[in-house]
Amino acid sequence: MNAPLRRTAIALLMAFAVLIGATVWIQAIEGPAYRDDPRNPRLTAWRVGRERGAIIAADGTALARSDPNPQDPQTFARVYPQDEAYAHTVGFVSVLFGARGLEETRTSDLVSQRTSTISGVLNAVLGGDPRPRGLRLTIDHDLQRAAVDALEGLQGSIIALDPSTGAVLASASTPGFDPNTLVGADAAPAGRDLEDDPDEPLLNRAIATTYPPGSTFKIVTTAAALETGIAGPTTEFADPVELELPGSTATIKNADGDTCTGGSTVTLEDGFVRSCNTTFAALGMEVGADALAETAEAFGFNSVIPYDLDVLASAFPSPGDGDPAATAQNAIGQRDVRSTPMQMALVAAAVANEGNIMVPYVVADVFKHDGTIESSTQPSIWRRAISPASAAVLSDLMEKVVISGTGRNAAVPGVRVAGKTGTAEVTGAAPYVWFVGFAPVDPEPGERQIALAVVLERGGSAGENASGGSVAAPIASRLFETYLR
Amino acid sequence: MTRNTEAAFIVAGSVLASLGVAMVRFAEGGWLDADVALTFVSFSLAFGAVHIGFRRWAPSANPLLLPIATFLAAIGGIEVFRLDPDLAALQRWWLLVAGATGAGLLWLLRSSGVAVLRRYRYLFLAAATALLLVPLLPESWPVHGAIVNGSRLWLRADLPFADYALSFQPGEVAKVLLTIFLASYLADRSEAMATVSRSLGPLRFPEPRHLGPVLIAAVGAFAVLVYQRDLGASLLLFGLFIGMLYVATGRGVYLGAGVVLGATAGVFAYLLFGHVQTRIAAWLDPFADYTGAGYQTAQGLFAMGSGSLTGSGIGLGRPDLIPAAATDFIFAAVGEELGLAGSIALITAYVFLVAVGFGIALRSRDRFRKYLAAGLTILIGLQSFLILAGIVRLMPITGITLPFVSYGGSSLLASALTLALLGRVSHEERA
Repeated sequence: MNAPLRRTAIALLMAFAVLIGATVWIQAIEGPAYRDDPRNPRLTAWRVGRERGAIIAADGTALARSDPNPQDPQTFARVYPQDEAYAHTVGFVSVLFGARGLEETRTSDLVSQRTSTISGVLNAVLGGDPRPRGLRLTIDHDLQRAAVDALEGLQGSIIALDPSTGAVLASASTPGFDPNTLVGADAAPAGRDLEDDPDEPLLNRAIATTYPPGSTFKIVTTAAALETGIAGPTTEFADPVELELPGSTATIKNADGDTCTGGSTVTLEDGFVRSCNTTFAALGMEVGADALAETAEAFGFNSVIPYDLDVLASAFPSPGDGDPAATAQNAIGQRDVRSTPMQMALVAAAVANEGNIMVPYVVADVFKHDGTIESSTQPSIWRRAISPASAAVLSDLMEKVVISGTGRNAAVPGVRVAGKTGTAEVTGAAPYVWFVGFAPVDPEPGERQIALAVVLERGGSAGENASGGSVAAPIASRLFETYLR
Repeated sequence: MTRNTEAAFIVAGSVLASLGVAMVRFAEGGWLDADVALTFVSFSLAFGAVHIGFRRWAPSANPLLLPIATFLAAIGGIEVFRLDPDLAALQRWWLLVAGATGAGLLWLLRSSGVAVLRRYRYLFLAAATALLLVPLLPESWPVHGAIVNGSRLWLRADLPFADYALSFQPGEVAKVLLTIFLASYLADRSEAMATVSRSLGPLRFPEPRHLGPVLIAAVGAFAVLVYQRDLGASLLLFGLFIGMLYVATGRGVYLGAGVVLGATAGVFAYLLFGHVQTRIAAWLDPFADYTGAGYQTAQGLFAMGSGSLTGSGIGLGRPDLIPAAATDFIFAAVGEELGLAGSIALITAYVFLVAVGFGIALRSRDRFRKYLAAGLTILIGLQSFLILAGIVRLMPITGITLPFVSYGGSSLLASALTLALLGRVSHEERA
C-alpha cells in the first residue's frame, strides 16, 4: 500500500526539481535582463537615492555633494553647486538619464563600500571605513571659471593641462547644461530637450568630438620633418601664390591668397610663423605620408588617450596609396585629419615637456569620508612623442608665432608664450578656429606651466571672417594670465 | 543523529537568525542592538520548547524535522526583519506562541498518541468548517471577518483596551484540522473506496457513492473560491483532498476524476470571475499590464533578477519595492538579497522536509498515522510549491504564505502543529 504514496512523493519532488530549474532560469539566465530592465525601480533607487561621495576642485570648491533627504534620512539628493561650469567632467547621476562623466566612471569610489562581499565584510571587521569616498580633482577653479566665461554664448571647447604632470587644469565645453535639472524624477522634459537639441549640449566637446585641426597640425608636420631630418627651421621652400598638387586639379593657397613672404623663397621658420599653407603642403609631400602618419601616431593620433573619462580617438589617415595631393592637404590639418581638443592640447604639452606626453588625469586624490587621502594619482609618461632636440626647435618656432606671427593676440605681458593658430575651413559655413600653445616657455624650477587648446565652432564671435589668431588667441591669452599671474 | 545534534542545530539556526539581523543593522549603518539578542532568544526558546517536547514525550521523533524548520524560519525571520523590524518583533511573539503550541500538543498526545485524534474526526471537521466560515462574520460584530487584498480570509478582533485589532487567518489552522479528519476518514474507508466494481467500457469505476468525497472536495474548494475569493486556498484544499484519496486508495480514477472536475471548476472560475482572469493574464505576460495586474509579478522578477547568483547581500537589496514582500512574496526577497544560492538553499530545505515527511509516512505501519503523515507532508509541500511556482511564473500567483518563512502568526501556528504531529507520528512508529 506504499506504491501510491511513493508515486506521490516522487511527483512532488519532481515538481520541486522543476521549481529549481525555473529559479535558475529567472535568476541566472534571464537575471541580467530583469536587473537592467528600465522599469526595474532598483536602477533608480541604487543610482540616485544612496549617499555618494563629494567631488571637489583642486582648491576644495564643492562640485558635487549628497544632501540627506529631509523626508527620508535614508535617501540622499545629489546637488551640483557649480551648475553648468563642471557639467561635462563631473557629469551627473539621474533617475531617468543614467550617469555621465566621473559620476559614471568613478562610481565604485563614490558609493558605499559596505557590501556583503568577502572583501566588504573583511574591511568592516578590520575597522576599515565603508563610507563613500570623495574625489579631489586637478581642476583649478579660477581657470575653469575663466574658461567657462570665455566660451559664454559660443560653441566650442577649452582644455588646459600641466605639461609636466598631465593634470587637467580646466575642461570646458559649450553649449552646456545644468546637471541639477536632470537629477530628479521630474527631469523628463528638461532631459529630452537636451537630448534633442541639435547643438548637443550633453556632448563633452573637449574629449568626445573631433574637428579638423587646421594649421595647428603644422606642429606635427614640422615635428615629422625635424625627426626625419628632412628639413630644419632654415630650410628654404619655393614661395608661390598657389601650389599645384600633382595628379589633381586642386591647388593650395594661403589664407590671404598671396605669397608667404613676397620673396621667391621662404624658410620653414617664416612659413610656420605666418602659417603658410603653400610651404607646409610642399613640406608634407617632401616628408611623405608614411613619416607624417608615424609622427602623428607618436603624438597619440589613432590611439585612445588614457584618461578618467572616455576620450574619442583622433584620426590621421593611414598612408594608403600615398597620393601626394592628399598628403599635402593632410599636412595642413585639412582633408582627413580629425582631432579632439584634448589631443591637440597634448601636442602642445609634448613640445613644452621635452617631447614627452604625460598620461592626462583629472582625479588628483581619492579621499575617505573623514578627509584623509586614500590614494593619489602618480603622474606617468604616456609616450615619448619626439626627441628633446625637436621639442626645443618647435618651442622656439611656436614662441615666434606669438611674438611676431599669427598668434600675437595670445601674448601676455612679461610671460614667454608659445603657440600655434589654426583656421579649419568648413564648406558652406564659418570655420573652426583654434589656438594651441603653452606658457611660460622654459619655466624656472617650481614655476607653474600650462598647455591648452581652444576651439570654437562657427568662427566663434567673428563668424565667416574668423581666424584662430583673431578669435581663439585672445581667449588663450586671458587663460594664461588667469593661471600664471 | 540524536536529540543532542538536533539541539545543536537549533542553536546554530538561532545564531544564523540573529547574525542575519545583525547584518541588516550593519547594512543600515547601525551596530549590534537588542533585536539581535531578542532574535536569538525567541528562536532558541520557541524551537527549544518543541525540542524539549520531543525529548520528553516523543523521544524517538525524527531528528531532522526541527533543524530544517529552524533553518527555514531563520531565513524568513531575517528577511521579515529586514523588511519591517516592527513586523519582526510581532513575529517573535508568534514564534513563541507557536513553539508553546507545538510543545503543548506533544504534551496532550503524551500517553494516548495520535490515535486519540482519529476518534474525534467529526469534531475536527466541524472545527475546520467553522474556522473556514468565521471570516464571513459581519463587520459590526466585535470579532468579525475582514477583507485583506480582496480576499475574505481574516478574522479580526477589535480589542477594547488597545487601539489596534488582532488579526488571524483561521484557514491556516483549518487546513491542518481537515488533514486530520481526512486521514481518519480514509483510514476507515480506503479499502471500500479502492474497490472498482463498476465498469464503463474499458474504464473501471468504484461505487458512485465512494466518489462522493471527491465531488465534495471540488464543490468545497469552489465554494471557498467564490465566497472568499481565495485561489490559493481552494487549489491547496483541492490538491490535498485528491492527493490523500490517491495515497489511500491507489486508484488513478480518483486522480482522473479530480483533474476533470478541477479543470471544469477552473474553466468556470475563469469565465465567471474577473479576478481569476486578471491573475491568468498577469501570469501569461506580467509586463502587458505592468502598472496594474502584472505589477507584483514583475517586481518579483526584477528582485530575483537583480539578486542574480549571489544576491545583493542581506539588507543591501530593495525587496521593500515588492508588494507583499514579507508574506506571499518573501521568496523573491530572499532571491534578491541572497541570490540564486539562497533561493536554491531554501527550495532544497523544502525538498528535505518533504522527503523526511514522506519517509515518515512510508515507514508507518498504522493506516491512520500513514495517511496523517502523508497528508501533512502533501500540505506543506503543495503549499510551498504553489506559492514558489507562482513567483517563478510556473503558474499564476495564488497568494498563500510560504510555510515557516513568511510573516504570519496563523501560518506559523499551523506549521508548528504540523511539525509536532509529524514528530509524534515518527516517534510512535519507532517506539
